[in-house]
Amino acid sequence: MKDNELKNTWINIDAEINRKTTDELDQYLTAKCRKTMNKFIFLNFIDIVTAIGLIAFLIFTSFNRRGDLIYQTNNLILGLITLSALVISFFSLKKLQGNRFNLPLKELLEQRIKLLSGWLLGKYCKLYIVLIPVLVAMILLSIHVYYEYKPFLEVMKDGESIYGLVAGFTIGLFVSFFAVSKIRKYQLKNLEFLKESYGRLCNMN
Amino acid sequence: MKSLKEEFLEILSNYQGILHKVNLIYFRNKPDREDNFQEIIYQLWKSFPKLQNKNSIGSWIYKVSINTSISRLKKDSRIEYREKLPESIDKFDLIEELSFNETSRRLLQAIYNLNEIDKSIMLLYLEEKSYDEIAEILGISKSNVGVRINRAKEALKQNLSHER
Repeated sequence: MKDNELKNTWINIDAEINRKTTDELDQYLTAKCRKTMNKFIFLNFIDIVTAIGLIAFLIFTSFNRRGDLIYQTNNLILGLITLSALVISFFSLKKLQGNRFNLPLKELLEQRIKLLSGWLLGKYCKLYIVLIPVLVAMILLSIHVYYEYKPFLEVMKDGESIYGLVAGFTIGLFVSFFAVSKIRKYQLKNLEFLKESYGRLCNMN
Repeated sequence: MKSLKEEFLEILSNYQGILHKVNLIYFRNKPDREDNFQEIIYQLWKSFPKLQNKNSIGSWIYKVSINTSISRLKKDSRIEYREKLPESIDKFDLIEELSFNETSRRLLQAIYNLNEIDKSIMLLYLEEKSYDEIAEILGISKSNVGVRINRAKEALKQNLSHER
């Protein structure tokens, strides 16, 4: 096909397309606005609800264990970490909602690559390897010690409790790492696609 | 006086052909195209209040449509890359519900087989956009536009010869 033929064929394709009425377009817009919370934002929403629930639990249990300093310290540290995670989630959510698609393609790809690279390959990208075990252990301790109705140190001396904690810790660790690795794998694939597209767009060779 | 939404819908109604054509080159089947069509409308609506220059509505719609479609390609797990599809599927469900003639189908199939960047370059070329406009929409230099168009055309012609 010559250039002119290509363009004429394209004009024919254009002429064959069924246009929507203004009412239909309005319905599309309204429907989309209603169900716009996408998977990523939904994950952040879950994160926020979970964090608020955990903080409420930590405050409530600490209040009921006023004499147990170790238990309260555990809850305080856990609360601070959770609060930090909540703030980070909130800003991530805001950033994602502010995604702008009206940029030139190159700029959009650059922005996305920068954002994802920061999350997946940046300075703190391996922090989760330390944070997950610490958080799982602290959450387990907080829940287990509270429902044993004994002081922190006494629970730690109890052999049965230790077995239970080790089992819970192992399961918790496995589930958390499995979930995180799935999310990372998915996002790394996205990043790879973005980099390939960027390379195709900018490579002059 | 028209409300913001009425103004938006009027523009959308006049320029919706762009959305359909972008959809056509990026998405093979109807449900994906419907999803993406809705997503583009939503993204256009989101950025509409920030649209300063009403003289460049076309460029704005191209930008949002292309960016949204490429972003969805990687997000949507249901959409496989064309390399992974068996040839029978490749031929079978392309634009099945549209009444294009054989030449149009061949051209669409050939465009569909291009990579995601060449698709947008070919679309803008076939839409007879100037180098300036293409450079603005894609964010690349004018000299790069020329090189990209030639390469995309070469790839397209090769695909067309395979389609015979």
